[in-house]
This record gives sequence, structure tokens and C-alpha cells, in this order.
Amino acid sequence: MSIMEYNGAAVVAMVGKNCVAIASDTRLGQQAMTIDTNFQKVFPVTDKTMIGMAGLATDVLTLRDRFRYKVNMYKLKEERTIEPQTFAHMVSAALYEKRFGPYFIEPVIAGMDKRNQPFICSMDTIGCINFAKDFVVAGNAGGGLYGMCESLWEPDLEPEDLFETISQALLNAVDRNALSGWGAVVHIITPDQVITRQLKSRMLDWADPTVKDKAVRYTRL
Amino acid sequence: MECLMGLVGKDFVITVTDTMAIRSITVLKHDEDKTRELNPHTLISYCGEAGDTTNFAEYVQKNVKLYGIRNNIELTPGATANFVRRELADSLRTRSAYQVNLLVSGYDHKKGPCLYWIDHLSALAQVPFAAHGYCAYYCISLMDRHYHPDISLDEAMGLIRQCLEELHRRFIINMPRFVAKVVDKDGIRVIDL
Amino acid sequence: MLSEIVAQYTSEPTGYGAELTPGNFLARDAAKQFDSLSFDLPNAENPIDFLNTYTDVKSDNDNLIKLAHGTTTLAFKYAGGVVVAVDSRATQGSVIASQSVKKVIEINPYLLGTMAGGAADCFFWERELGRRCRLYELRNKERISVAAASKLLANMVYSYKGMGLSMGTMVSGWDKTGPNLFYVDNDGTRLKGNLFSVGSGATFAYGVLDTGYDHEMNKADAIDLGKRSIYHATHRDAYSGGYVRIYHINKEGWEFISLTDVDELHWQYADESRNRGA
Repeated sequence: MSIMEYNGAAVVAMVGKNCVAIASDTRLGQQAMTIDTNFQKVFPVTDKTMIGMAGLATDVLTLRDRFRYKVNMYKLKEERTIEPQTFAHMVSAALYEKRFGPYFIEPVIAGMDKRNQPFICSMDTIGCINFAKDFVVAGNAGGGLYGMCESLWEPDLEPEDLFETISQALLNAVDRNALSGWGAVVHIITPDQVITRQLKSRMLDWADPTVKDKAVRYTRL
Repeated sequence: MECLMGLVGKDFVITVTDTMAIRSITVLKHDEDKTRELNPHTLISYCGEAGDTTNFAEYVQKNVKLYGIRNNIELTPGATANFVRRELADSLRTRSAYQVNLLVSGYDHKKGPCLYWIDHLSALAQVPFAAHGYCAYYCISLMDRHYHPDISLDEAMGLIRQCLEELHRRFIINMPRFVAKVVDKDGIRVIDL
Repeated sequence: MLSEIVAQYTSEPTGYGAELTPGNFLARDAAKQFDSLSFDLPNAENPIDFLNTYTDVKSDNDNLIKLAHGTTTLAFKYAGGVVVAVDSRATQGSVIASQSVKKVIEINPYLLGTMAGGAADCFFWERELGRRCRLYELRNKERISVAAASKLLANMVYSYKGMGLSMGTMVSGWDKTGPNLFYVDNDGTRLKGNLFSVGSGATFAYGVLDTGYDHEMNKADAIDLGKRSIYHATHRDAYSGGYVRIYHINKEGWEFISLTDVDELHWQYADESRNRGA
């Protein structure tokens, strides 16, 4: 079994009209065994940028901390918030730093830049950036996600339509993947706010009694 | 082949560990304590590669103690779990990585009882209940079945006993003795199984 | 004269492909003609090693043929008969190939077999078992016992031992002696018992099943226990999932009970758990 499949993950980002969306599943597994169904893989970087990481959970956590440190240092030194493009290169450099002993994660970055233009990109484990104008995916359900995105995505989706599109793409992809799912989170980033919603996917964690009512119902395609 | 379990109740956390020290096909010791107190309200239990386990546990124990002495304030269980995870993660990328699985259980005076699951790759998750080793395969589904967040201490002990019975019934390894410890607002104590 | 007729009916079957004429038609025992199966083997020096390189999960061959694996199945006897419960997921690697596999094989109205391991192996051999059970019935004018049926299956797969068959099954049914349950696997193991669970999620199912089991429980509780045990296994085991399929066996033979989406059960149990906590 590949180390990239040890914990299981699915992450996707999409561009809309004056908005971007980033979403992930919430499963943490130890190979076949599900440990936690509320494991976060997408983290805020600035008010308008987020990063999602698919791969080995330990590196997701390590890099979450490392990027937070780096972004804070950037803010202190430069006295401005980091742009998503700049952040992407920061991530790329941090990954390539470990070229010969890589972090086992594939990042996905989504954000709105200072001119409120949408930006998304993904990377391989050693920092080769893949810029895209439509969508990017990472994780074990990657193949399935690409198929879903190719068929559902269209240009200039409004935030609510983008939410529906990315949710359907993610849910239907993880439903065909054994190692991801058990709940999903979607973030829609617009120029003035981030809307975060938990999806009511198969086997969503119900330890938090409010989750069931808060979670968005979805209809199967 | 070792067994760690943990469960968060209404206002307490229970951890249960087996007590066997094994080398090759021999049981060296029947009453090994596989837990360490990090501070008055945080307990770690551990299993994994012999030698690595106690060394790592005592290393973090002394450092957390030192933090408490230096700053005259104890680390919260959450902070402790993240410190332990980071130490383990840093060691992971060296040639002599610690191979240790951990459960960090603690009582936070603001947030209440909590349990953190950390595996040998230092993935960390805060969970209502958890288990390490093969026993997870038998016990986790039982906890899924009977657990609820407001579980009382008596009820929780009943659930733990059911888990141990199941291990005795199905698990190939005979683990005759277990130790249970409770962490709550009053600190850490051993509780009869 | 009589001895000629007897000789005609007791003659050894003609080999495969022998011409069928009105003369030798009666002499043939159709059952015997299909008694033995033959398979083509890979044209390699050691066919078994050759096959294992491509199908054994422990093999490090890059072109590994991933057979469908991963399952939770269970069956148990209780006062009212036998409950058989299975999940419905088939995976190839981490891809979910299907969420609607039927892992129970209805061998005849009184016999059920479950499937775990290689889907093709289970299906083929249990279908073959069904055929042999029918022939037994025709020959002996009475239904085969569960013990004999499971022994047939165990003997069949045992003769292919070491050749890479993958099968973990429970043969259950009702015969003259009452409810019966046997575990049979590709090692040739055959065990009589009251309660078995097989597959990657079996340990999770055992946890719930063992503690909830009571031989004297009623039918509704027995069915619910089977359902819950499979659900809990699908919740923790990534390679089990889909639907819970339940059968019940009593002296009238088997009866299909239900097919329920595990997600539906998930929310149903969530409500129950919350009420329990409150």
C-alpha cells in the first residue's frame, strides 16, 4: 500500500464567477480502519486564501503549522497579507526544500487575489505547481474527482451554483472511493466572506448533536 | 500485540492498557505500567517498539514537567498533545524514529475532558474514544455501538469490561491483566476494573 | 439378461466428447459426466507460482491483478433459526467497484452460502455446489443435509489447495436435524458452529455480535442484531459498505428479509444514540 493512501483524502478546488470554492472529505483512516470522521484537511491562510492538503495526515498537520508560521512571518516582515499566487510559490519552495525526503502531501490552494480575481492551483509532493482556470483535485479519489469536475463544471458559476457543483463533484467521487468520505466540508471564498458548510454525506460523524441539523442535505445525481 | 484504549465521558477520561512486556515469544513482565503522568491532569499511554516507548514517554514527560516548573503554569492537555505530536513528527524524519503509538488523555479545566489519538506516524486526532493495536479491531465497533457523549463513569466502565470480555473471547493473544486510569477534575487515579 | 441391464446402468461414464447415440444414451449417468471439472492452467513451468505472482496481494508485481476483496459477512444460529447478514461493497484497490453486490448465494430453497474473498471464486464454487446438491437430491430422493453440502464444498476447494483460490464462506440452512451453520474456506477448513463472521470487517462485526448475542432472543431482535453488526463493520472498515442484506432461515427454508442502505441505518442509529444519551 502506498504511503499516499495510508490515511485517505479527497480535496478539490473550483473557480466560479468572482468566487472560488475548496472542499475536502473529513475521514482520517489507518489504512482500512476509520479512526476519525472529523479530520480537517483545508485550512485558512488569509481572509481570502485557503489551502487543502491530501496525503499523509502527519504531514498535513506539520505543514499546516509550518505554513501558518511562514504566513505570519511574511505578514510581519512585509506588513501586508500574502497573495494566493505568492503563497503558492511559498508552498512550492517549502515542498521542494524536502526534494530528497518529501512531505507526502499534495496541496490544493484556492483564493481571491487583491484585485479579487479567483486563483486556484495544485501541486505534486515536491512542489511542481499546476495552475488551472477551472478546477484542481488531489487525493485518493483524484481520478473520480476529475471525471466529476469535467462533466459538472462550467465557467462563471455564481457562489451558490459553484457550491452545488463542487459539492456534487466531491460527494459523488468519494462515494466511489473506499478511503475517503465519512463527511465533507465546502468553503466558498468570495471577495467579502468565506462561507463554510458541512455536507451531509454518507456516514457523516454525528458525535456533535448539532451537526445533523446544520449539515446541508444533498440529492444524489 | 499491545492494547491501549481510551474513552471520554461526561466529566472524565478513562484509559485502559494491557500490562504485558513481551520480548520474542516470552512474556517478561505481567504488571508493566504503560502510562506516564505528564502533569496533574494529563496522562499518556503508549505502545510500540520496545525501548522506544518508555524512552519517548519519559522524554516528553520530563519536558512537560519542566515547562510547568519554568512557567509556573501547566500545559493544557491540548497543548501537550500537540507538543508530543511535534516531537514525534520531528523524530519521524530522522534515521532513528521513535515507533510509538500514543493516547493523550487529560482534563482541561476550561474545556473539560479530552482524548487525543496519535499514531506512530504522528497523525493526531481528537476523538471521543480510541484504541491502538489489534484490540482496536474488536473494541472500536463496540464503543461505536454503545457510546454516547454523556456516558457516566459506571456505564463507561461497563463498556470497557465488555470490550475486555470480547478481547478474551476473540483475540488470539491472552492478556490476563489490564490497568484502568481515570483523569478528571481531581487528577489522575487508578480505578478497579 | 438382467445382468446385462444392470451392467448397462452401472457402467462407467463415457469420457468427455464421446458421441451420444441412442444406444449409449441410457448408459450415461449425466451426473457422473459432469462430476469432474477441468481448468486450463497457465503455460508456465510452475503454474501455481506463476499465478501467485499476479494475484497474491503480498506479491510486489507491478501488474498485480487486483481481485475483488473486502467484505463483512456474518451468520448465527439462535432459537428461531439462522440469521445471515452481509454487506454489498466490492472494491478493486481503493476504487469502489460496486455498492450493490449480492454476497448471499441461494443454493436451493433450504441452503444459503455467503461470499467473502475472491468474488469469482465464491460465486463459481457455490454455484457448483448448488448443482451438486441438486444432483444429490435427484439421486437420493431427499434433500442434502447442510453438513454434507458444506463437506462437498470443502472437498472441492481443498482439491485446489495452494492454487490461489480465495474463499471464505458460511453455508447455512435447515435440514432434518434442524438449523445448521458451517464455515468453509479455501484452506479446506470446515467448522460447525453457532456464530461466524468472515471478511475484512469481521472483527468489527464480532465485537457487536458477541456482546448482543442471546440464543433465546426473538426473530426481530436477531435480525436487528445482524443488521447492526454489519452496519458497525461498514462504519469502521473502508472495504465494507453499501447495503445490509439480511436473510432468515427456519424450517420452511430461507426467507429474504431486507436490503437497507447503511447510510439510512447510520441516521436511524444516530437518533437512537442521541435519545439514549438524553
